[in-house]
Amino acid sequence: MRWNFTLIIGAMVVGVSYGLYQLSYEVQQLNSDLLQIRKQIKENKQAVQILKAEWAYKNRPENLQALSAKYLPLLLVAPYQVAGLADLPDRELNPDITSIVGVPIPRRKPRIELYEEIPLPPAGLHVATYRASEGLGR
Amino acid sequence: MTDIQSNGFVTPLKSSSIRVAPSSPALQGKIRLDGSAMETLEQGRNRLVVAGVLFAFCFFVLAGRLVGLALTDIGDVLDEAVEDTAPKPAPVVNYVRAPIYDRAGNLLAVTLNTVSVFADPRKVMHPEEAARKIVSVLPGLSLEDLGRKFKARRNFVWVERHITPGQQKAINDLGIPGIFFRKEEKRVYPMGSLASHLVGYTDIDNKGIAGAENYFNDQLAGLDGRPAEPLYLSVDLRVQYALRDELSRYMTIFRAIGASGLVMDVQTSEILGMVSLPDFDPNRPNDYPQDNKFNKTTLGVYEMGSTFKTFTTAMALDLKQVSLRDGYDATDPIRFAGFRIRDDHPKKRWLSVPEIYMYSSNIGTAKMAVDVGPKRHKAFLEKLGLLRRPLVELSEVGAPILPPRWNTLETMTISYGHGLSVSPLQLSTAVGSIVNGGIYHNPTILRRSGDEELQGKRVISKKTSDIVRRLMRLVVEQGTGKQAAAEGYLVGGKTGTAEKAVNGRYKRDALVTSFVSAFPMNNPRYVVLAMLDEPKGNASTHGFRSAGWTTAPIVKRLISRIGPILGVQPVDEKSESILKQMHVPLYSREKKLATF
Repeated sequence: MRWNFTLIIGAMVVGVSYGLYQLSYEVQQLNSDLLQIRKQIKENKQAVQILKAEWAYKNRPENLQALSAKYLPLLLVAPYQVAGLADLPDRELNPDITSIVGVPIPRRKPRIELYEEIPLPPAGLHVATYRASEGLGR
Repeated sequence: MTDIQSNGFVTPLKSSSIRVAPSSPALQGKIRLDGSAMETLEQGRNRLVVAGVLFAFCFFVLAGRLVGLALTDIGDVLDEAVEDTAPKPAPVVNYVRAPIYDRAGNLLAVTLNTVSVFADPRKVMHPEEAARKIVSVLPGLSLEDLGRKFKARRNFVWVERHITPGQQKAINDLGIPGIFFRKEEKRVYPMGSLASHLVGYTDIDNKGIAGAENYFNDQLAGLDGRPAEPLYLSVDLRVQYALRDELSRYMTIFRAIGASGLVMDVQTSEILGMVSLPDFDPNRPNDYPQDNKFNKTTLGVYEMGSTFKTFTTAMALDLKQVSLRDGYDATDPIRFAGFRIRDDHPKKRWLSVPEIYMYSSNIGTAKMAVDVGPKRHKAFLEKLGLLRRPLVELSEVGAPILPPRWNTLETMTISYGHGLSVSPLQLSTAVGSIVNGGIYHNPTILRRSGDEELQGKRVISKKTSDIVRRLMRLVVEQGTGKQAAAEGYLVGGKTGTAEKAVNGRYKRDALVTSFVSAFPMNNPRYVVLAMLDEPKGNASTHGFRSAGWTTAPIVKRLISRIGPILGVQPVDEKSESILKQMHVPLYSREKKLATF
């Protein structure tokens, strides 16, 4: 009986100390992980800083102007080319069409008289959103 | 003699006090004590029990608390403790000089990590060879210089600051003992010379020594225990670029030795663009001569010429000294105190106030100013901030040069912009306060937030402001500034051509031409100023080099470019409502040929 008691106490001591050591090691591991992650964050932030500087450098107005002069046939904006939303004429609606839900398509094709039914997606229409947690293209 | 009780306690026995009980089956194996020994034993046991119960109670409370904590939520006190010990977001950009942005958040200045090379000469074994090897990687260094450095009796010499990662690898690969690297920070200006005078630059130890870098050094570096805070300037990069582009183009066309320009928000006096040419690249300021670092827009003061007639006319109208119907005889030049005041575009007849302004008549303006008088003239210009150093967040700000006395002669000359030197910044701010309805705001290079209450002081009445706007529009429509008419943006402005004063004499062949304008004139939003230093006429201007020919076209092109960027809606200038808004009667007495 007495031996049993001692054994139980001993087993408990071994068990508890094992658990404690395990916990301690785990904490140490987590701590070093944390330090490493912090270091990585720091490095990443510096890299981001460099990328931002490069982005700004590549987007210098003189650079953009040279590129637009090379690839785009744009001239100075003339006053008559500037209009506000209010200046746009109202679109005339065809009374035959009851619903205009869907992708904007030409109202009337010049030759084909048949309208093609646009099937709505089964889940209904929704706004596309980007969530940082999901990432792009996954 | 001892005996062990069944409960495990060992009881010391004294033979004298022990009386062995009569043998009975129930008490077999037990010892019964009597007398004082028994009392002592009882007392000890009681004490033990009390102590044991106390301890048991304490442990029970502790155990209960533990179980309670484990089962229920962590208490409030613990929450705070957790908050204290929880990992915080790593403050990485601490102690790094903060970046500078433009009003839209485009990067103007940023601090990047670089590597610098230094040497411990006492550990360099073969100085000559080491120097030769390093020069093979960094060709910009001089061989003798480096050899001398490596032979010095010191333990630290810089070899080169801020090298590229490629160069670092190459030097590392050389394997020279005694050569070490040190991580450093370098200020980088991605936009190069675009906003050089505004942003300024830092020395090699990242201490701001010019422009906003200098003025806001403490904030950017985070001195005095404050965290480093980024800076948002009021400048709009797109406007700044258009301004610099147009100024440098026309500077080349007219072979001017310098140019400066300013775009300013009329309502808030925020500077959206500020250029002084020639300029420099803040990434390598030492490669440029000192002249390039001179900010002509804020530090340079010039006699501005006829643009000052705006202030004289506004003053005379505001003080009700003249009305639009009044006028002055501008047939003959004024002779006063040995000076002769004449017109550049002489009409040789009586001119009404609108005509005096439109044809930029020195004679008429001088007479108008004399009627107002030197005292009131001085007080008015003081209100417009033209007689003191302007308050702006830059270290390079010039004070105006006032005449030693201010009598009738000085009032006459200052009325058309001679005898008083001010900076282009002062001129723009003053014109802004004239056209915005008559409120003066201090100019600023910082982005203002919209909800901030603006401190301003009234300089002229709203009605006078409205009339001066129409007069400025008249100059562009029919007067000396026709070439500034950017179609659709209702530009109004005033030309200014002044001879440069060199060694106390006016130099006839060296001009400073300026054009100060605002648009759109029915509700002014931006002031635009362009100035050329010593432009020369060419074939396209028929040899003329006055402001109407050289600087007005800059303003025209510039406003056509920045109008859409700034979201100014172009209007039909010929439409009746606009013509009515901008109408100003000329009251001319010019004899027109009768048409039958």
